[in-house]
Amino acid sequence: MKIVFKINGKQVSMEVKPSLLLIDLIRDVLKLKGTKPGCLEGECGACSVIVDGEAINSCMYLAINVNGKEVSTIEGLTGTENPLHKVQDKMLEHGAVQCGFCTSGIVMTTKAYSDKCLEEGITPTREEVKKSLEGNLCRCTGYAKIIDAAEAVYKK
Amino acid sequence: MDFDVINTTTKDELLTAIEDHQDTNFRIGAGYTDLIMNLRFQPTEGMTLINIAQMKDPSFISIEEQQDHIVLGTLVTASNIVNSPLIKLEFPVLHEAALSVASTQIRNSATVGGNICNASPSADMAGALVALKAVCCVLNSKGEERIEPLASFIVGVGKTSLDKNEVLKSISIPRNSGDQLKSGFEKVGTRNSMEISIVSLAYHFQLDESGKVVDAGVSCGAVAPTIPFAESACDFMVGKDLDGLSETDKEEFAENVLKYATPISDIRASEWYRKEVLFNISQAIFD
Amino acid sequence: MKKNLKIIGKSHKKLDGKERVSGKAVYGHDIELPNMLHGAILRTKYPCANLISIDTSRAEALGGVECVITAKDIEVSNISFKRDHPVLKNGTVNCNRDEIAAVAAVTKEIANKAIRLIDVKYEVKEGVYDPIEALKEDAPRINEFGKGEEKFGNKNIAETFHYDHGDMEEQKAKSHVIVKKTYELPRVTHACMATSNITAEYSEFDGRLTLWSSTQVPFLYQRDIAHALKMDPSKIRIIQPIIGGGFGSKLDMHPFEPICALLSMKSKKPVQILFSREEEFVLSPTRQPMIITLTTGADEKGKFTFREVDIIKDNGAYTSWGATTPFVMMQTFSSLYQIPACSFDSKAVYTNNPFAGSFRGYGNPQATFALETNIDLMAEELGMSKAEIRLKNANFKGEVTGQGLHFKTCGAIPALEKVLEKSNYDQRATERKEGRYLRGVGLGSMLHVGGGAKIYRSDGCGTTLKLDDYGYLTIITGSNEIGQGSETVLAMIAMEELGIDEDKIKVINTDTDVKPWDVGVHASRTSFVAGNSLLGAIKLIKEKLSKKASELLEIESDSWTYDNGVMLANEQEIKIDKVAREIHFGSPHELCSVTYFYEPPSSFQDKEFKGDVSGNYAFASQAIEVEVDTVTGNIAVLGVHVSQDVGRVLNPVGLQGQMEGGVATGVGYALTEEMIYEEGILKNPSFHGYKILTTTDMPPVHFYPIETYDEAGPYGSKGAGEAPLIPTAAAIANAVSDAIGVRFNSLPITPEKILRALSEKKEKELVS
Ligand SMILES: Cc1cc2nc3c(=O)[nH]c(=O)nc-3n(C[C@H](O)[C@H](O)[C@H](O)COP(=O)(O)OP(=O)(O)OC[C@H]3O[C@@H](n4cnc5c(N)ncnc54)[C@H](O)[C@@H]3O)c2cc1C
Ligand code: FES
Ligand code: FES
Repeated sequence: MKIVFKINGKQVSMEVKPSLLLIDLIRDVLKLKGTKPGCLEGECGACSVIVDGEAINSCMYLAINVNGKEVSTIEGLTGTENPLHKVQDKMLEHGAVQCGFCTSGIVMTTKAYSDKCLEEGITPTREEVKKSLEGNLCRCTGYAKIIDAAEAVYKK
Repeated sequence: MDFDVINTTTKDELLTAIEDHQDTNFRIGAGYTDLIMNLRFQPTEGMTLINIAQMKDPSFISIEEQQDHIVLGTLVTASNIVNSPLIKLEFPVLHEAALSVASTQIRNSATVGGNICNASPSADMAGALVALKAVCCVLNSKGEERIEPLASFIVGVGKTSLDKNEVLKSISIPRNSGDQLKSGFEKVGTRNSMEISIVSLAYHFQLDESGKVVDAGVSCGAVAPTIPFAESACDFMVGKDLDGLSETDKEEFAENVLKYATPISDIRASEWYRKEVLFNISQAIFD
Repeated sequence: MKKNLKIIGKSHKKLDGKERVSGKAVYGHDIELPNMLHGAILRTKYPCANLISIDTSRAEALGGVECVITAKDIEVSNISFKRDHPVLKNGTVNCNRDEIAAVAAVTKEIANKAIRLIDVKYEVKEGVYDPIEALKEDAPRINEFGKGEEKFGNKNIAETFHYDHGDMEEQKAKSHVIVKKTYELPRVTHACMATSNITAEYSEFDGRLTLWSSTQVPFLYQRDIAHALKMDPSKIRIIQPIIGGGFGSKLDMHPFEPICALLSMKSKKPVQILFSREEEFVLSPTRQPMIITLTTGADEKGKFTFREVDIIKDNGAYTSWGATTPFVMMQTFSSLYQIPACSFDSKAVYTNNPFAGSFRGYGNPQATFALETNIDLMAEELGMSKAEIRLKNANFKGEVTGQGLHFKTCGAIPALEKVLEKSNYDQRATERKEGRYLRGVGLGSMLHVGGGAKIYRSDGCGTTLKLDDYGYLTIITGSNEIGQGSETVLAMIAMEELGIDEDKIKVINTDTDVKPWDVGVHASRTSFVAGNSLLGAIKLIKEKLSKKASELLEIESDSWTYDNGVMLANEQEIKIDKVAREIHFGSPHELCSVTYFYEPPSSFQDKEFKGDVSGNYAFASQAIEVEVDTVTGNIAVLGVHVSQDVGRVLNPVGLQGQMEGGVATGVGYALTEEMIYEEGILKNPSFHGYKILTTTDMPPVHFYPIETYDEAGPYGSKGAGEAPLIPTAAAIANAVSDAIGVRFNSLPITPEKILRALSEKKEKELVS
């Protein structure tokens, strides 16, 4: 099946197997290894990417359904002027990264939520920040530093 | 996983695809949050998937405000529901149920139609919709529509009343007639997030100005093969003044809810716990 | 020891944090080698059976399959701590993990499909899943390689430990209260976010094997792989890609690792095995499930008199490092709080359950749960405050315990006092409890090794330092980074000591062909041992540098300071890179490079398990407040106060992260996590069924470090990584009991257990 979509700002068009999952398209076909497979069952969020502005689990998503859409992965956050996106900077600064396997997913979920908050002009409460990350499991950090970092992103 | 996909973007394409596949093994795919796990554990060779995720037809994808009903297209996602001010205002039970589904990422994909058609007794949005006395609008491959109350649409674990040539198009919820509401969704699980309900209770009481119940809707999840509408508990509540409920009233209400529970024991909880906790939360919603 | 430091003690960002946060870090899952095949393993369908036949012909015929192996195709030795575990099973299978055959194919899909085409005929046998049943005379022998009969008088005993000190009879006679309780601890697992993986490449030309492995003990692993494959250890090179979580899970070598090597040897191509999440749950090691019977006594003033401990551990079908957890548990029983007499017995018993392994805390969470619950019960019987009884018996500086542990520094009392104060314990503990939500507060303390633990012949670590012509420093360390932040601490030490900027420092630690020996990451030892090793190397390189600098500046000084790339003495200065160049290009024409090996001063324990086993010891207390919802039985942890003697804080942000992460795992152990096994089969092998905490479940953690400046540790520090989860479950259980007045002798304390307890309590109250 032919699909046309944007990945990290670049338009691509390719033939894919209809049953291909988005995570496999990203990791195995496009070789973008920053998106992580933690469970392949929608439970851990390590595979989170942004499709048309919304964070989704790429392990629960058919590749063909990105047709006509815009996909961003962790690799797309690395800009030319700033090597790291604000979300990434804050994660580092607050010590939110230990083994780092959950980190890509957490960064992408936070990026999507912070864009949304920015658009709507709201600063979420700590409880709302926690809720926004409920689908991202992390076994190393106990989350506190992750929430701190995310809160720092939303602070004006 | 290895299957073929037919992509449909309009109602006509969808109906044709269904019509063309009457003799083959096919499934309908919406948000895929249930389906992918399903397909991973079964042979999928020779199977066709009719993909409706890219459907453009508004009757499938939008939340429509009508005079007497709010109509949810089958592809409305849990996030769409959570973000709808209208639903939050009129149907808090549905807002809370949708917000309790898994995570942001899953809610962004999970559709209300998929939640219903998957026919799990622990489906949260379906539970709220049963309490709201929602009605399903079903379309067959000839383009004919039929209407069926959600409570009878789900007939058992993983089973709906859909025929092979039918698809769920939308769900309509009757709008409130009362002046005030007591409406909410209680979800019981071990963690605060990422839980499939061990037990759930959806309730939607409409009250008149004085606080008397004029209409009641209650359903319980994960305690029976379907999501039962607790009719006798509703009947018991109609006419009652919510502020003036006695402890015995609360207990009687909870006992009425419990009549609909025929839970099983599984690794997540025992039959005993499910009943005990359903009784307890039914009583506690009035505290 | 309290000298003023510039870098140490201040929060420092993770050294390779940028790679990790940008998705550029390469984990095992991300490795792709040219011509690489994908491996898959066929496991038994039944936990206990005879293998009648294995037919691989259909798998071999499948297009894309390059090789299939079974036990009869390979020439290997048994693996595991007791060498009682065949790599591929032949004849019988003994637990649900057992490997029967393996396939390498050009894609993952084909490999998985091939596995399904292998036809195995079983003769199913009745398994033994209860260690108490397994101890009975008429139980079948479970592990044919076990030496139980000869060594311990029972065929199904894998290992035993006995320890005692003090005059038991005398102490019993002194006791005013005696509490005897039996506790049951569940099977839980690490649930690392990255599943287990390995990539193997064998070169038929020189017989060398390269493994990209997530082991946390590469040099022991090299030896284990060599033993399994009957190879020369030096022909095996272990490369450690970035690890997505360790926590002890990567201490043992597991069958899939030599299997992957064998597939590569046979196919002559690189082979990779990645576990699915389900495999990860079924296959990765677990914390030891055990039954602990604990009898403790105290005199009328509340001074502890004696402890008698009897433990039955479910060893599972084979024996891992986990069988040695009594080393740690006996320390807790013999030495946590002052204790005149203690006797300890443990048996690890073979069953047809999966075998346990090592897990952060290494037996200590189980021991601490039992002990701290008994202490609460004794306080209740004595009518004494739970805080007072603990303070009265707390360990102290200078104490040499019955087991011979020497507490040269000890923060036990300050830690306890801190959490009592910060949690407002006295007031909380006496509050009235009523309504739907009942609150309670509980205490737990712990003792753990803080300076490594001598259980292998060497507990040391080597370091090589290279200062190049441009003033850049390379630290080649034997130690490993598994996400815990040890690399960062090492770089901080070098910055502190040598005044070199972070961006001029590189840490190399991933390749056994390059790095010097180290025993591996365990026992909270890395910062301690690798830090001391680095300090030793720095001392050597400073000698070199200062000698040359003195020569160049024509001064005599033995007190050089290093700051900002410059060496200073007698108000003169010289750039460090210039000194390095002069050493290289001038006489004596040497490289500015040194190697040092550090062996901690700890001693081996004697045959009676007595001796000062660690360089120093860590102490901690936690006070935890919970709220029990009596309607649902759910427990919310409202706040965790942690105070820990860490010797000295090296990197505050890193340390705090270890605390929070440890507490999260401890809360999970107490409340939500359990591997549910029925007849040897795991019923919840997914993140859905196995519930680790989410963001919305995580309580706030308030951390108060206690600094005791222990001479043995780098800058006075002690190991800290395991401690934060050790007393958590104990403190939570004590808090729940405080809230609802019911004791739980098993974990996890689920909502269902709470509601049952409340309803039983109500019934009892009605009756009386
Ligand atoms: C990690 C995780 C957590 C979850 N947590 C929750 C939770 O908390 N609460 C909860 O209720 N659910 C939960 N779910 C289940 C799931 O997300 C929901 O049931 C979701 O609403 C399903 O919708 P979908 O669009 O993804 O359905 P799909 O997976 O696309 O489809 C589900 C089923 O419905 C059929 N179907 C879909 N649309 C139609 C249609 N229009 N007509 C006919 N048949 C149709 C499909 O053929 C399939 O059989 C969870 C799932 C995961 C993976
Ligand atoms: S890998 Fe997709 S949610 Fe875990
Ligand atoms: S940092 Fe290791 S899982 Fe989050």
